[in-house]
Amino acid sequence: MPKTNPGAPEAVDLTGLRGLLESRPPEARELLPLLRDIQTRYRHLPEEAVRGLSEYLGLPLARVYAVSRFYKSLSRVPKGERLVKVCLGTACHLRGAPALLEALEGKLGLALGETGKDGRFTLESVNCVGACALAPVVMLDDEVHGKLNDESLADLPL
Amino acid sequence: MSGERSGERFRDVLRGTIDGKTVVARRGATVLETAESVGIRIPTLCHREGLPPDGNCRLCVVETKGKLVISCMFPVREDGFAILTQSPGVREARRFVLSLMLNRAPKAPAILKLAGEYGAGADPRFSRDPDNCVRCGRCVRACRANRTEAIALVGRGFERSVSGPFEKPPPDCVGCLSCAFVCPTGNILYSERDGKRRIWDKEFRLVPCPECGTPVFTEEQIRFLGEKASGLCPECGRRRLASALRNAEPLSGGSRGF
Repeated sequence: MPKTNPGAPEAVDLTGLRGLLESRPPEARELLPLLRDIQTRYRHLPEEAVRGLSEYLGLPLARVYAVSRFYKSLSRVPKGERLVKVCLGTACHLRGAPALLEALEGKLGLALGETGKDGRFTLESVNCVGACALAPVVMLDDEVHGKLNDESLADLPL
Repeated sequence: MSGERSGERFRDVLRGTIDGKTVVARRGATVLETAESVGIRIPTLCHREGLPPDGNCRLCVVETKGKLVISCMFPVREDGFAILTQSPGVREARRFVLSLMLNRAPKAPAILKLAGEYGAGADPRFSRDPDNCVRCGRCVRACRANRTEAIALVGRGFERSVSGPFEKPPPDCVGCLSCAFVCPTGNILYSERDGKRRIWDKEFRLVPCPECGTPVFTEEQIRFLGEKASGLCPECGRRRLASALRNAEPLSGGSRGF
C-alpha cells in the first residue's frame, strides 16, 4: 500500500507552465521531452506541473507519474542552480575520485546528494560520464572538467 | 504471406514434445498455453489469462534447446519443438527465483507453497523489508485493462513499488477491486463496512443493486462505466439477461434459432 510522501515543499510559481506545455504538441511521445522541459524550468517536477502535463497530454496521471519517477535526471525535490556531478566510475575511482569528492564536499559545504540551503549547488555522483581518458572527471551542468587535481579543482568556477 | 490455401491450416499446426509427451500446438501460441492445453502445469505468479503477459516473475521458465526461456511469452514457432518443464536447470532457476521472492513476500501462501515444492529458502543476503508484494504488476495491468490506470509500478530497483500518483490515494481509482482480485499474494487489502468500501486509502460509497439490494459497485464505478452499467449485481444481471433471451423473438430467417 502507498508509502507516505517524503514531501517536497511546494510553493512554486507555475505561471508560464501553460506556455511551456504548449511549446510541444499534445502527443504521448512528448511525455519525456516535456518532463525534461519542466525539470529544466523549475529544477524539479512540481506536483501541479506533473498533473498539468497529464491533463495536457491526456495520459493517465499514474503513468505520467511513474515515468517521472523512473529517470534519475528528473527530480521530485528542487535541485540547485548548478549541478555538480562527480564521476565515481572505475577509471575516475582509480585516479582519486573519492578524494576529489571529499574535497568538493568540503568546498561546497554539502554532503553527497545534498542541495545547499541557498539553492546554488547540488552535489551528486555519477557512475560514468564516458570520458574515462580524462579521469578524474567532474561535470558542472553540461561542462566536463577532466584530469582534476588539487590545483585545477581550486580553479573550478564554483 | 504466400497463397496455397489448402496448406495454410496445416502450416499453423506444429508438432513437438513437452516433457517427452507428443503435443500439437498452434503456431505462435505461447509455450505456457500449449502446455496448459495438454494439462501440463507450469507455475507462474505474474501471468494471468486475460491480461497481457509481462514475463517478469520468471517462475514459468522452461528449457528448450538447452536454454531457459519464459513460457508465458515464448512462442512455439517450429515443428519438432522440444520443451522441458521440470529439468534440473528449470527447477534450479525456479528455486532461485523463489528464494528471492521469499524475502519480499514471506507470508504469501502462493509463494510458500511453491517454495515448499522447489525446496527454496529465503536468501538472507537479499533480505529487504518484506511487504508481501512481488512487483509482478498484475494489479497494474488489470487496472490498465479496465482503462482506469489509477496505479502504476513506481521507482526502480529495490525502491520499486505499486503506488498511486505521488504516493497518495489514486484519484482515478473507482474502487472496482480488480487489483485486489488478481493479486497473487493477496497483498492488496480492502475493507467494506456500512455501505462503504476502502481501498488504496480511498473511501467509496457502495450502491445497492436495484433488484436485490446487494452492494457490489461503487458510485465511481457506475459513473466510470457510464451507460454500460446497469447497476445490477452480477447475479441479477445474469438473471435479467437470461429472461431477456428466453423472451426474445427468434432471429429472422429462422435458421439460427437457439
